[in-house]
Amino acid sequence: MAKLWAIVKREYLERVRTKWFIIATVFGPVFFGTIIIVPAVIAKRSKSSSEFTNTVILDATTSGVGQRVAAAMNRMRTPGSAAPQVRVVQPSALSAAESLATHRVMRKEVSGYLVIDRQTLDGEQIRYAGRNATAISDMEGLRSTVKETLLNERLRKEGVDSARLRELTFMPLRLDAERITDKGRGGSGTVSIIFAAIVAFLLYMSIVLYGQNVLRGVLEEKTTRVAEVVVSSVPSETLLAGKVIGVGAVGLTQQVIWVIASVIMFKLRQPVLQRFGVATIPFQLPEISLGLALLLLVFFLLGFTFYASLYAAVGSSVNSEQEAQQAVQPLLILLVATAIFINPILLNPTGQLALVMSLLPFSAPIIMPLRLSLGSVPWYDVAIALAGLVLSCLVAMWLAARIYRVGLLMYGKRPTLREMARWVSYSG
Amino acid sequence: MTDYCIEIENITKRFAQHVAVRNLSLHVPKGSVYGLLGPNGAGKTTTIRMMLDIIAPDEGTIRILGVPFNDKHIPNRIGYLPEERGLYRKMQVRRILRFLAELKGMKGAVADARITEWLERLDLKTAEKDWGLAKIDELSRGMQQKVQFIGTLLHDPDLVILDEPFSGLDPINSQALKDAVVDLKRRGKTVIFSTHLMDNAERLCDSVCIIARGEKVLDGPIARIKAEHGTRNIALSLDGETSESVAEVLADRSLVQRVDDSNRYFEIELAPGADSQRLLRRIVDSGATIQRFELVQPSLHQIFLERVGAAGIESGMAGHG
Repeated sequence: MAKLWAIVKREYLERVRTKWFIIATVFGPVFFGTIIIVPAVIAKRSKSSSEFTNTVILDATTSGVGQRVAAAMNRMRTPGSAAPQVRVVQPSALSAAESLATHRVMRKEVSGYLVIDRQTLDGEQIRYAGRNATAISDMEGLRSTVKETLLNERLRKEGVDSARLRELTFMPLRLDAERITDKGRGGSGTVSIIFAAIVAFLLYMSIVLYGQNVLRGVLEEKTTRVAEVVVSSVPSETLLAGKVIGVGAVGLTQQVIWVIASVIMFKLRQPVLQRFGVATIPFQLPEISLGLALLLLVFFLLGFTFYASLYAAVGSSVNSEQEAQQAVQPLLILLVATAIFINPILLNPTGQLALVMSLLPFSAPIIMPLRLSLGSVPWYDVAIALAGLVLSCLVAMWLAARIYRVGLLMYGKRPTLREMARWVSYSG
Repeated sequence: MTDYCIEIENITKRFAQHVAVRNLSLHVPKGSVYGLLGPNGAGKTTTIRMMLDIIAPDEGTIRILGVPFNDKHIPNRIGYLPEERGLYRKMQVRRILRFLAELKGMKGAVADARITEWLERLDLKTAEKDWGLAKIDELSRGMQQKVQFIGTLLHDPDLVILDEPFSGLDPINSQALKDAVVDLKRRGKTVIFSTHLMDNAERLCDSVCIIARGEKVLDGPIARIKAEHGTRNIALSLDGETSESVAEVLADRSLVQRVDDSNRYFEIELAPGADSQRLLRRIVDSGATIQRFELVQPSLHQIFLERVGAAGIESGMAGHG
């Protein structure tokens, strides 16, 4: 046991100490954080931005519509942003005023200018030029504000009094969209889909990354011939087990750090986004029961052990990185095939595909956690998946240990499948 | 029978296409220096790996230090230096040594003290520079070999197994290794090493075993082996260039069975029934200036060539030209 521990310790510490690990562990959360913040900020651009009201209104009419548009925009103004400014100009002086306004936009004093002229009063056209001209909803907001103002103007001319007017036109229509899935309607639908996607993606990524890591570790020991020194001191099974446990622990460490960092970032999301001037709906973290968390952990550990053992077997049977890349193809195909189905299964988590993929041992470590995160799964499905996975793990470890023991000291040409089968049958 | 460190009885190891070791038995006395000699591919490394329980023999038994070779505690008492040397390249020297010590069941703290001792002893830790804190890649090849050697001996093993220890060593490190082997013997340890360099084996070993094509050719104490191979050998040194006429004499099969020509030094095996004095006279007559003409026991090298046979030097053929 002391020797196994020495190997686990080495595998763990030597990896955790590398720059690669530190960078990935620190930048993972930064990356996730960016994923959380940036879309919201971009989305904000397609909502009304604070620049929306920081405009100059060039009113080339004498109707006073410019003032009323400004007043309407003012009501929509977010706190801290600049109020619109109104310039009443003669139609003949309009082009001069426009070029002046253009310069102010270029100097970033205002974000744009709006031209109100005869055609506007006729309800035909308004013109806007500014930095945010591509922000769809800024433009939509401007159009509807002006339209509303003009409409009010017309109604007023028809003799509707202003109190009645506001009563009639005030309509803060909000669209509440709710999703209906096979499971029925649920407000938290989006949240659990995002959560499930993250779980599946994380599992997939860490199995691929750390599986490759096991392979590279085995290959290093083989090519530098350290393996021979080590297996003269401990049985090769101990070395294999130590490696899988050590590397698995590194992966787990990284995930724990990522999960904690993500939770903290979700908590910080609101204040950060407010800084960017984005109002957000409070985003509920999914409720994860202890049982679910444990189950996810078990699936990760089993899945990792399954793939890491096979990766180790591949690593011990090849002589170079190039050979390894070829030999690892079958494993990668299993993993990539699983990853390809993540999306369809997210969309239809109760379909045949989801059921089958969550029970097959090679895809269960990723797909069953995905189903579990999406909602309740019958206990017997979980039990079948677990049993199949445990069994496959045992077979994979047994096979890997035998291939590993022979392959580790075998140099020269890459073995054929038949030769590897013979290695498995070697007695000792 | 516990005065043997290693007792190997009739082991056989087959691989897919060939038999690597066939029915091999050998006995290594405790506290001796033992040479496992043979040409490349003779089965030396396979034999060593079986002693270390890295691979298991298909037949036969191996006992080490009085217990079966796969006893759980045996590896802690063996130090092993494989033929192909290598260490984790990115790992710090001290950490790697500590790891190797832990694999031999040592406690970290005990190992640390010994590592310091060894690093100082082999000049890897001096007042200016402590290579113990460097990574393996930063070390020169010679230094890496020293580190590997420390790793082999750190846990003070009773049995030290060195596979081709002299290959790739410069003369200085080679001498240091010989000193270390002598030191180990003096401290009562058993040392086994494989080599195809007969000179080293002849000088260092108490006993040897010569194997070829997976089979034992001969074994026993060096003194006995040499005595058994008689004194029909002559050491001959000539002054100046070897003339045609001397070459002719040495090529005479009625006198010379075999000659190992090292240019200025010849080791000659007399033909059966030939008289050494007649050979001496013939050489004098040929006009050569003799520096040395001595009846000697055959060198291990000669015995090896004779028993194993080697391409290029066959019976009766002088190695001139």
